[in-house]
Amino acid sequence: MFSFAAPLALFGLIGLPMIYWLLRVTPPRPREIVFPPTKILRELKPDEETPAKTPWWLMALRLALAAALIFAMAGPVWAPSGGVASSAPTLVILDDGWTAAPTWERRLAGAASIIESAARAGGPVAVALASETAAPVPGDGPRAMEKLRSARPKPFLPDRKAIGEQAAAFARAHRAARIVWISDGVAQGDAAGFVRALKESGAAGVEIYVEDHAPRALAAPTNDAAALSVDVLRIGDDASAVVDALDAKGRTVGRTTVDFGGAPRVRAKIELPVELRNDVSHLRIEGENSAGAVALLDARSKVKRVALIGGGAADEAQPLLSPLYYLEKALAPFAQIRTARPGVVDPVQALLAEQPNIMGLADVGLAPGETFEALSRFVEEGGTLVRFSGPRLANADDGLLPVRLRRNGRVLGGAMSWEEPKALAEFDATSPFFGLPASKDVTVQRQVLAEPDPGLADKTWARLSDGTPLVTAERRGKGLIVLFHVNADANWSNLPISGLFVEMLKRISAMAGESAPSSSERSGTIADPSALAPMRLLDGFGALGAPGLFAQSIPPGFDGPASAEHPPGLYGSGEAFVAVQTLRPTDEISAFDFAGAGLNASMLRAGGQLELRGPLLVFALAAFIADALIALALAGKLRLRPLGAATAALLGLFCVAATLDETRAETAPKSAATQRDKDAALTARLAYVISGDARVDEISRLGLEALTQALNARTSFSPGDPVGVDPAKDELAFYPLLYWPIVASAPQPPAKTVAKVTAYMKQGGTIIFDTRDALSQHVGGAPTPEAQWLRDLTKGLDIPPLEVTPRDHVITKTFYLLDGFVGRYANGETWVEALPPEPKDQAARPVRATDSVSAIVITSNDLASAWAHDKRGQPLFPLTPGGARQREFALRGGINLVMYTLTGNYKSDQVHVRDLLERLGQ
Amino acid sequence: MFADVATRAYDPAQRKPADGATAADLASRMPRLVARAHEIAASLAYGVHGRKRAGVGETFWQYRPFASGESAHRIDWRRSARGDQLYVREREWEAAHDYFLWMDCSPSMAFGSSLASDDKLSRGVTLGLALADVLVRGGERAAALGLTAPISARDVIDRLARALADNATEAARDELPPQAPIRPRARVILISDFLIDPDALAARLRRFADSGASGAVLMVTDPSEETLPFSGETTFLDTDGGPAFYAGDARSLRAAYARRFQAHRDAVRRAAQRVGFIFLQHRTDRPASEAALALAMGLLGADGASFEERR
Repeated sequence: MFSFAAPLALFGLIGLPMIYWLLRVTPPRPREIVFPPTKILRELKPDEETPAKTPWWLMALRLALAAALIFAMAGPVWAPSGGVASSAPTLVILDDGWTAAPTWERRLAGAASIIESAARAGGPVAVALASETAAPVPGDGPRAMEKLRSARPKPFLPDRKAIGEQAAAFARAHRAARIVWISDGVAQGDAAGFVRALKESGAAGVEIYVEDHAPRALAAPTNDAAALSVDVLRIGDDASAVVDALDAKGRTVGRTTVDFGGAPRVRAKIELPVELRNDVSHLRIEGENSAGAVALLDARSKVKRVALIGGGAADEAQPLLSPLYYLEKALAPFAQIRTARPGVVDPVQALLAEQPNIMGLADVGLAPGETFEALSRFVEEGGTLVRFSGPRLANADDGLLPVRLRRNGRVLGGAMSWEEPKALAEFDATSPFFGLPASKDVTVQRQVLAEPDPGLADKTWARLSDGTPLVTAERRGKGLIVLFHVNADANWSNLPISGLFVEMLKRISAMAGESAPSSSERSGTIADPSALAPMRLLDGFGALGAPGLFAQSIPPGFDGPASAEHPPGLYGSGEAFVAVQTLRPTDEISAFDFAGAGLNASMLRAGGQLELRGPLLVFALAAFIADALIALALAGKLRLRPLGAATAALLGLFCVAATLDETRAETAPKSAATQRDKDAALTARLAYVISGDARVDEISRLGLEALTQALNARTSFSPGDPVGVDPAKDELAFYPLLYWPIVASAPQPPAKTVAKVTAYMKQGGTIIFDTRDALSQHVGGAPTPEAQWLRDLTKGLDIPPLEVTPRDHVITKTFYLLDGFVGRYANGETWVEALPPEPKDQAARPVRATDSVSAIVITSNDLASAWAHDKRGQPLFPLTPGGARQREFALRGGINLVMYTLTGNYKSDQVHVRDLLERLGQ
Repeated sequence: MFADVATRAYDPAQRKPADGATAADLASRMPRLVARAHEIAASLAYGVHGRKRAGVGETFWQYRPFASGESAHRIDWRRSARGDQLYVREREWEAAHDYFLWMDCSPSMAFGSSLASDDKLSRGVTLGLALADVLVRGGERAAALGLTAPISARDVIDRLARALADNATEAARDELPPQAPIRPRARVILISDFLIDPDALAARLRRFADSGASGAVLMVTDPSEETLPFSGETTFLDTDGGPAFYAGDARSLRAAYARRFQAHRDAVRRAAQRVGFIFLQHRTDRPASEAALALAMGLLGADGASFEERR
């Protein structure tokens, strides 16, 4: 929609018909010369036909020229979703749930254009976010923009009730208020109520804009024995979705493609070996940068390997009598079960060799000996031992028990007893089972009793209604011993056939492998000792980060919806963390039916406003030049046929534009290139890739010059003057290191060039890609244009697996000892070729390195800008956060990079120097 | 962007003869023209007469014996006193030639270009006046054709100039020399650009010749008229109100025009020479004295002999 800064200038258009008339009646006036011998001239040849009127195309050109000038003077602005400009107060409500995150930038741009157009019309503008409850404050454009820029999508779906009331209040407070709702199009979050509030608010105009991206989400992730599975939800008509399983470092472990097949909700299954599956920390829908598209997996969802050993001989004919049968049934949904093959001499040893997380012993008495030692060691090293009592255990107190047992158990409600079978008591808040319903159906007829030793209460996880312990546990070493005071079949109680049994085993299995929480962590929250403090939380884009100020601890059994107080993420500490999902398992997302609510939602067009004055003036200038050329040609001044004149005019324009390119392209003529290659071959020097952006190239040159000076001054390496190279034309082989600043606007190099670059890397060259965008990128968010450019480029390259530079990588030690590589910015990561995993058997070495130099280093810190200084050594660019120290460290990082490319893993070998010298001494 | 040759005419905007403008302009410029005419005439006086004639004015023709019956006061006593016979001093000058000068004042003359310092009208008038002065000093009588009677007074320049200025308006109408009565054996000097039909000119010249006159034709030409130094899309406006001429590209006409102009000049030359007039041409970018000298020499002869002897 057009709006004009100076609409009055449009009255000039009235003059257009007059110009048309003038042009039409008045031919292009030839030069008039009073010439006495005209008579003689006239005898020369018959009078030429004077053109009666201007050629139509020339007239059209001139009219267009005049119109363009008039429009340019009127200052037109193209605002795609600016709406009707009026001076009414405008309230822009921006949905900021995770559903808005994938299209966040577009939404901000659209909102910005709405605000700009409203501010230009002169009305006050207020910006409100759907998650807010405060009253929106109308202000001028810049204030609203400031608020808009500070907005971030939230990792939950805000309830729009509060903002609906605020919008109604706004409409009441301001006459003829205009309310613009930039909606995520999702019905959840009380969209219907909000729409009702808007309608009843009495606002003069309600405009609704939506984005064409329908969000997708993940819900109810489970990691059971069979596979990793998750519900994939969609609103729109996406045919399929790709779900990635990622480990804690963000590497993709597995992926699957789900086909919706028309359904809004399908279950995706990712089948992986258990070991890999347990590494999965979260699932993510590829290409969907939102909190809803991330499903977190916590310790509870790690599949445990459980080894089960029964005490008695298994009777194949009567499985229901075997205690292992019930255990297997209860554990099967979430654990991988190992049982000893019949006939094995020492089943405990055999199963321990399979490295289970949990060892389940159903009524097995342990005699001191090798087996006992092995089992003790298993527990000390972090294994979880779950024991069930039974006749054998009841009479053997072998030490691998949490409590001392009394010799005989007791029988409740039997024929010889007047006591009723006991039911379960409610679980204590300190118990891991807290939150599970203590089912009244569960009764216990028989149990083994613990000696009432001091500290028994602390060891008790579950007790009967009379207070006798039913489940006791004790930490021992890194491990845990849990004892069920009943046996694992249905003889002593009906617990093993109840649903509670499954839940209890699930909790135990979730705890398996955790180290004991230290007392200080336990007392972290004063109000509720068992509350779980936020550890790492999702932001709206679906990236895990440090918890914000407003995040509160969750109670252990928390299953409420994610909210501002309890954002989705990981709560707890250490290994014992609990995930709060963005979507609860039962949550749905559905599209809001705007038409049904009697509202018209229009597309929010991304792309801000377009000031058209400049282009119009350029067009007018071009038209003017063309007109002049045509006039010249018509007057016979230009030795061109009239028809060719227009072509010539265009050609001329292109020539001017092309000249710039020409001059640039011709800087490296053929003959000079060979000379340059000679120079490059004789003197090692740093090189940068010419990006095509003159400014960036200049920074690269200055930066590398400064680095060259530093290398000369501080190291024994004396490089020559740095050069810019064009990978398409120049020979790269002479340069050990290429600095490649990424310019997103540059065209992708052709395939041939990419092949050349690949060959360069294969031959041992190192390329430092610098995306220079550390400030603008956010973790997990949509990639920046530079990052996208680099991704597109590396599709053609043969890139080894990369990782963020580990602290012990040799690149941090080649000259200076560094923690990281800072540049103009300090927050970007530096990626290098991944090192092989640290060998377990050897002692930790201070430095690790591969055999060859990493062919690729990716940074986003804008190194060259930090290095660059002018002739007097004054730095050219301010740093973020800043300081001379950062500049020095940037330079040190550069020196380390150069040294790394030159010396490779030499420094990692240096760690042996002491040993070598000792050996030589002998 | 356009032609580097600028032209000026008194009234380029209106396509009609600029009578008033020409007359007023001519009148206002006359003092300057007169002054220049004096200069040129003076230089000619030294150039032509200084050497060829002994003494200015009192030119002796012959003595003849006194015939009886003649008036006694015609006797030249100084000569007769030397001898016994009486002599009569006869002077040729009493039969001095009448020179009728015609200086074209038509609109086409009021044209000049940046290639020359003067326009054709100024040059023509200057030349005419200077020549009149030279002639009068040489003992002849000069008249403006159709405007004045022959004058032999020393202030002939001023008087002719005044007559021209007074009558410029009427004179401007004529492109052809007027058919004023001339005495037999008079000399007619026509100064114009002769951008007229050569046949009409020839007819008019024949009439002069029929009445026993002889004379000279001086064709004054602006350099731009000779070379057509224009280019580009041009409309040529005639000075006498004729239809304009549109040229798509003036440059392309140059060669053809030059040929055509030469042909016209040849036609004028033939018309002049056929009736015994001498033909002279003058370009306004040449010094005016050059043309005046040529004219004077042509008319008076290099040795001071009369025109008839040279013919």
